[in-house]
Amino acid sequence: MAATALLQTTTTGRVGGPSSTTPSQNAPPTAEQKDKDNMAAAQPQTAEEGKQFVARYSDQQHPLPPSEIQQDPRNKDLGRTSRGLSVRDFELVRTLGTGTFARVWLVRLANPAEEDQEKVYALKVLRKVEVIKLKQVDHVNHERSVLADVAGHPFITTLITSFSDHDSLYMLLDYCPGGEVFSYLRKAKRFDEHTARFYAAEIVLILEFLHESEGVAYRDLKPENLLLDAEGHIKLVDFGFAKRLGNRETYTLCGTPEYLAPEVIQSMGHTTAVDWWALGILIYEFLTGYPPFWNSNPIEIYKQIVSKPVLFPTEPAISPEAKDIIRQFCTVDRSHRLGNISGRAERVKSHPFFRGVYWDDVYYRKYRGPIIPPVRYPGDAQCFDQYPDEKAEREPYDDAMKKQWDDHFKDF
Amino acid sequence: MSGNTFPGRRGTNSNPFSGSTLSGESEQTSLGPISKVMEEEENDTVTSPATASFNFAGKGSSTFGSPFGGDASGQGPPSSFKQSSTDGFPAHYGMGRRTSVSAESLNPTASSNDNWTPPFHRKTPDQITRLKKSIFNNFLFSHLDDEQSSQILGALVEKPIPAKGIKVITQGDQGDFFYVVEKGIFEIYVNPAGSLQPGPDGLGKKVATIEPGGSFGELALMYNAPRAATVMSAEPGCLLWALDRITFRRILMDSTFQRRRLYESFLEEVPLLSTLTKYERSKIADALETQKYPAGTTIIQEGDVGEAFYLLESGEAEVYKKGTPNPVKHYTKGDYFGELALLNDAPRAASVVSKTEVKVATLGKDGFQRLLGPVESIMRRTKYEPGVEVIDPLHKK
Ligand SMILES: Nc1ncnc2c1ncn2[C@@H]1O[C@H](COP(=O)(O)OP(=O)(O)OP(=O)(O)O)[C@@H](O)[C@H]1O
Ligand SMILES: [Mg+2]
Repeated sequence: MAATALLQTTTTGRVGGPSSTTPSQNAPPTAEQKDKDNMAAAQPQTAEEGKQFVARYSDQQHPLPPSEIQQDPRNKDLGRTSRGLSVRDFELVRTLGTGTFARVWLVRLANPAEEDQEKVYALKVLRKVEVIKLKQVDHVNHERSVLADVAGHPFITTLITSFSDHDSLYMLLDYCPGGEVFSYLRKAKRFDEHTARFYAAEIVLILEFLHESEGVAYRDLKPENLLLDAEGHIKLVDFGFAKRLGNRETYTLCGTPEYLAPEVIQSMGHTTAVDWWALGILIYEFLTGYPPFWNSNPIEIYKQIVSKPVLFPTEPAISPEAKDIIRQFCTVDRSHRLGNISGRAERVKSHPFFRGVYWDDVYYRKYRGPIIPPVRYPGDAQCFDQYPDEKAEREPYDDAMKKQWDDHFKDF
Repeated sequence: MSGNTFPGRRGTNSNPFSGSTLSGESEQTSLGPISKVMEEEENDTVTSPATASFNFAGKGSSTFGSPFGGDASGQGPPSSFKQSSTDGFPAHYGMGRRTSVSAESLNPTASSNDNWTPPFHRKTPDQITRLKKSIFNNFLFSHLDDEQSSQILGALVEKPIPAKGIKVITQGDQGDFFYVVEKGIFEIYVNPAGSLQPGPDGLGKKVATIEPGGSFGELALMYNAPRAATVMSAEPGCLLWALDRITFRRILMDSTFQRRRLYESFLEEVPLLSTLTKYERSKIADALETQKYPAGTTIIQEGDVGEAFYLLESGEAEVYKKGTPNPVKHYTKGDYFGELALLNDAPRAASVVSKTEVKVATLGKDGFQRLLGPVESIMRRTKYEPGVEVIDPLHKK
């Protein structure tokens, strides 16, 4: 809480622009308020309106203090359903990445107006059949709604709009041209502490915002889900497991094996504290090049996670501050875990690992990224790996499935 | 239980049944793990700023670079990114992109309308003893409480495997069940292709055998992943116990969920904690530790310095004061005591002794402060007037 307040006061003076032109309120809007706001603005209904809305969306958003993200009228338009839009309104340029559920495409508007030719986006495509088979129906709905609510945060990918057709779900996102932090990490083998600290700091602000302003647990932190924008700042993608928790714990096991917190593995009910555990694993992997618990057999990973302490290699040497913050995050007992104990994110920010970091400057992107992605033009995708084409034949989404499931996808 | 396999990663050479769940001599038959050369440094201190290696600049110049260093080092796409030294890198670490895993979402019974109760299959005391030995040092079961354990033991269902050569699980197939061997011998085969192949050598290599008391398929209790091996009966007349993921997860989830809600409702009743927000109450509920005491245990001793507070979860307890032979108060489920310990270090004003076996949920002052900060500032939110007595005779649940 204190953190948010601090950001607000100091930044109004510093950045001026966005905060002085928007009404500043301390409390995040209630769900009810949000609903009303959503009703108020007209949704794009036709393909043309939809395309114009998409074209108008500009990446040049100013970072707003967390408490104002939902107040900014531009952000309120973002993340909503576009009834008229369809995949035919886009030209699919190439695949940017694939995951378990989805394929993400670099896209352009189809037949763009002169001034829109340079504009590119990322389109995440999920097949309804796959979503149903993998029992991810709840999860994709959470993904869409959480992304819509957090649109406008400087380090989170922006959901511009979503739509669907007979067999697929689409989420149009701002394109993060720098590629995955994962790619840079694997190529570099490991990051030095400056680099690790830079990314960790931006992630701390993401988690503070998600947990303390939005009540959301992210649940899939890993280098593969951290992208870089053109300036080398973090954009968190893949909210496939993000969930609004309120003050309750949740039970569905999800995440990525190496990054799962012990309480997730042991089905003890978990909370936002899992993200701090994962941040510990992430900093470790940044500094050493591999996660602290690994094995080709997931069961062996899980056994280690629940019972073994994090050990550090002799080479490379890791500073005592870094070791300490990793150990404090990777504490099995949640009631001792940094980030989850009193002070929450504020306590994390004052850990010696982050000594000398000016958090407002982090939030307002004043620090220069340690890696500036070699992006030559807006639609440049050289920072992304190549992926094989999608299999031509795919399981049909038949009428019986439609009847049973389409109602579950009505929010898209 | 049908459904589709969640496309997880599969270790090419991994034996999913390695280690402690295998019976027999070979405790460490696991083929997967590659031991890392690691040095444990438990004695690091972070108290010495002199060792801090970062050179942060003053406020004025913070805009550029430090404390993150300032040099943009990427001059090409990630694929041309410069490599640092390779030493100290584990040789066998798989460097590929990692995909996520997920179980089906389940909602606790108590929060929905369905009335689910775990299945119950009767077993002999001998069978129970053997099963306990087989599963309760497995990391997926070792932390369960008594109630959860007995529900799990009840839910395990008999699965006879009458003939030799029956494939109980097939490599590459979806996995929904975990098995414990009651009788007979089973063989594990791994095909390097990642799944059972047609033809005479389709099973792949035999990597281990499992004897009575052994178990396999535990990953299926977490999420639906492709089976990493084929398991086949090696003789006729085998017998297995089976447990499916949904049953396992529901048992754990429902009891945890109910206990959490119970704790939260208990905490709501404690006047001393009435100013806590919902968030804070759930934090405390999360940290409460369950403890069991047999009848006749002195839980709190009059005159001792109080360090923890207690919620009585089940059973009965009585309050005694020195010089009075009869109990001065009687506690039942939902009552709490010792909460003034959170506030001050005054000695306990009375003793609390369990009358029956009791289950209490307890949290120390240190835990409370760690989670919520100084107690004093929380108390200051309201004017809670602590009585002189630890045992406030007016407090009623
Ligand atoms: N906005 C974006 N801009 C550029 N690339 C993106 C964007 N969003 C996603 N990608 C790329 O696509 C990949 C897969 O996307 P995402 O992680 O959302 O899919 P997923 O199927 O949910 O993955 P997972 O298996 O991790 O759950 C990402 O790792 C990233 O490389
Ligand atoms: Mg992903």
